[in-house]
Amino acid sequence: MKKVLLMIFFSNFILSELVLEITQGTEDPFRAAVIKFDGEYEITTNVDQIIKNNLTRTGEFTILDNDDLLSIPNNESEIIFNDFKILNIDYLIIGNIANDYSNIKAEYQVFDIKKGSKVRSSTVFGIPNKNRQLAHYISDGIYEEITGIKGIASTKILYVTQNKEYRLVVADADGKNEQVLLESSEPIISPSWSPDSKKVAYVSFETGMAKVFIQDIASGNRELVIENSSQISSPAWSPDGKFLSLTMYQDGNAEIYILNLINKNLTRLTNHYAIDTESSWSTKGSKIMFTSGRSGSPQLYEINLRKSNARPKRITFEGNYNAKGSYLPNNEGIVFVHRADTNFQIALKYFDENFIRPLTESQMDESPSISPNGNVIVYSIKEGGMGLLSGVTLSGAKFKLPAKEGSVREPAWSGFLR
Amino acid sequence: MTIFRSKLNFFIVIIFLTSCSSMNVTEENVYSEDIKTVKASSQSQTTENISFDSMAVFANATIYFEFDKSSLTSKSIQTLKSAVNALKENQSIKITLAGHADERGTREYNLALGQRRAEAVSDYFVLNGINKNRITVKSYGEEKPVAYGQDEMSFAKNRRVEIN
Repeated sequence: MKKVLLMIFFSNFILSELVLEITQGTEDPFRAAVIKFDGEYEITTNVDQIIKNNLTRTGEFTILDNDDLLSIPNNESEIIFNDFKILNIDYLIIGNIANDYSNIKAEYQVFDIKKGSKVRSSTVFGIPNKNRQLAHYISDGIYEEITGIKGIASTKILYVTQNKEYRLVVADADGKNEQVLLESSEPIISPSWSPDSKKVAYVSFETGMAKVFIQDIASGNRELVIENSSQISSPAWSPDGKFLSLTMYQDGNAEIYILNLINKNLTRLTNHYAIDTESSWSTKGSKIMFTSGRSGSPQLYEINLRKSNARPKRITFEGNYNAKGSYLPNNEGIVFVHRADTNFQIALKYFDENFIRPLTESQMDESPSISPNGNVIVYSIKEGGMGLLSGVTLSGAKFKLPAKEGSVREPAWSGFLR
Repeated sequence: MTIFRSKLNFFIVIIFLTSCSSMNVTEENVYSEDIKTVKASSQSQTTENISFDSMAVFANATIYFEFDKSSLTSKSIQTLKSAVNALKENQSIKITLAGHADERGTREYNLALGQRRAEAVSDYFVLNGINKNRITVKSYGEEKPVAYGQDEMSFAKNRRVEIN
């Protein structure tokens, strides 16, 4: 009886890794095979499946089903390169995990099938009972080896859920391993990571009015950034972590200010009777982009911080609603919420192009946040009035993150943690 | 065309990798994540300055707005006129104006829009002789809808300022 229950438990556990939903991939992806890692059942369970999902989610890989392979090598000496060459596979990944004096030690190798040689041999020391983290690290090593771009499987996503209560939640980039940072009976909006990903800033209505808080993730210590009688919102960290741009309402209207987090000095950045909000910093911290209603509809504007008294420059002209912009990490363009007609979509605009590229096509797509490697955008969608998180890569691949309890929204991608 | 961009990157990377034929050997440790859950204690709003009788005067005072607009309609002004009279008759009353928006558009822009709507109502009161010290202005943006449908009727009900 015990055995049967155990079987059911494990089969459910394995099934739970199969929820990945890729609605669209890129043309001509890398073809790869990931062999189940060698080692004791408890420590290898799901590791290969998590790696497969992580690679698939990038949109840049097709992972072959192991049933379609001609041979399954458990170690390097068992590899028959021709068996993989015939299937037109580019890369083969094998590995093993061992319990080494209560430490988890994973070793994996990446083989370039066309070259017929090993291109990577890596060791990752894991933490007991944290197989997911281990699998994410391995995924990133593989991704980096093959694409030359830093992987994001080991990064985190911050988001807000609303069920009976409002929750600020942090989860792995695949939406799993959720942990609650804050619970409140009043709304929480606009979560944002500090550049070192050790703190978060957000807007909480717990005092009866929108106020910005900073919370240390590890200790749970939190502080109200400014104490005054008016509402404060829309926090965004400067890339060096020394400043926080904010929307302040003390002038009777939404204006953007920059708060020096060390000496608490405030500098006013905008001065217009229209709405100015949703500030975000360029990668080098030299520019701030924001949403302004000064033209009669919400549009994106930019201020050069290097010039004194620089005037805001309008940067979006297409569509009747362009808001909540953020810069690509390479500073080559921006990602934002765009409405051409009636639907709100996530759109991309490269600075060297004079047109907007819509990336999504449902009706109520909001809150885009860019992965630290600049390849993926996580955003919120609405289905039947409920919020869900989705992802789209700049190359056009789309995926959905697993559904949560209640409505989910406002995702914010962490920096690199690995 | 987006695809072309990313492909180009890959080619550069592949050329780079093949030019140095050595194998990469790495070793790393998984970081330990430490996360603490905090519970926010919500402060209930104080309404001690408002007597029971005068609260009743304002009980149903809600002002509605057009999409992405914060201007007062003639119907709104009718409602506000009686509110001004009540405020003049009861000098001890203090009021809170809470602005709201419908769910379309971004949350922060809607927070600012709700604030603008509440400010528009506040400006009307001040213009009509009510002391600004008696008015608290704030916004909930799209966070506290009264109607949950995704249709114009629900949206219209949510674009509002509540006078309390």
